[in-house]
Amino acid sequence: MFSSQSFKDGVKHAIGVPALGLGSSMFAFGAFLHSAGFDIYQSFFSTFFTFALPGQFVMVETILAGGTLLNIFLAVLLTNSRLYPMTVNITPVIRNTNIPKWKQYLGAHFIAVTSWFNFFAVHKNISQENKFDYFFGLGGFLWANSVLCTIAGYLFSNLVSHEILIGLVFINPMYFLVMTVSNLKEKKLVFSVILGAVLSIILNDIFPGWSVLIAGITSGTLGYFIFRNESYE
Amino acid sequence: MSNQFIYLSIMVASVATYFCRAFGMFSARNIKTDSQIFHWIRCISIAVISAVIARIVLFPVGILSESTSLNRITCTLVVLVVYFAFKKNVVLAVSSSVICFILINHFL
Repeated sequence: MFSSQSFKDGVKHAIGVPALGLGSSMFAFGAFLHSAGFDIYQSFFSTFFTFALPGQFVMVETILAGGTLLNIFLAVLLTNSRLYPMTVNITPVIRNTNIPKWKQYLGAHFIAVTSWFNFFAVHKNISQENKFDYFFGLGGFLWANSVLCTIAGYLFSNLVSHEILIGLVFINPMYFLVMTVSNLKEKKLVFSVILGAVLSIILNDIFPGWSVLIAGITSGTLGYFIFRNESYE
Repeated sequence: MSNQFIYLSIMVASVATYFCRAFGMFSARNIKTDSQIFHWIRCISIAVISAVIARIVLFPVGILSESTSLNRITCTLVVLVVYFAFKKNVVLAVSSSVICFILINHFL
């Protein structure tokens, strides 16, 4: 049974800082696409169908560097592979057997760092049967807002100075960082986050494409096993 | 760089991205929220995100690479200091860091 109230609550949650944080980076991405020679339809389709900013940047960079479609596929797959554990993590939380499968797979398209963090910040206050609809509203609004902001960035990039555009791109990682820090309520998460960041930097020169994935899996696994007996929040 | 190639690239990038999401949903079909594997995956997820942030700050792609590493590192410290100094105020922390970043970028 669809809960329109939970859906609206999710949308309300997204309006404000989450939409602004992600939207500003999408605005800068739209401007970047304009300067890279994309047309407005291509800009629209990029965010509409991909909705994962680091991978979208990598796609454009690979095109500009003369990469093949296989290069693009592998580069984007590796860059966006962070979505795999995030989806495995959030799926059992929003699971609802009354929701049709197609809608669940549609909802998966809205899984991104911003929606993931914001959902986990409040999910304990939402009843199990309403979690999916809440997430659908939250993630769906962020996605729609991102598409609009990409188009706005494409159209109005000439009104914003280049320095401001670079600043807009910087909002998203800083917002991610604050959201990450705000989630560190268990020792194993603190350990995983610190080691993940350090390993990612160390491994970047050795495994440029794989460093994030290797660092994340290694740090998360070590953090989990070292603090396995810690009670859960 | 033909228009057709750009459209194909967008399609390929979308398939690669959605594969990560769909395969994640498929893999999670038997995982319960009270299982050990759920908590293990949570550690991996947040570690991967922190690895992504570290990479964006130190080895960015796109227009962010036009700023200096020192600027990005300084403003990363600013966001953390302001966040903890001002009662975990997200808006204040992020806006302070980004304003610092733009100013440093402009003047240095």
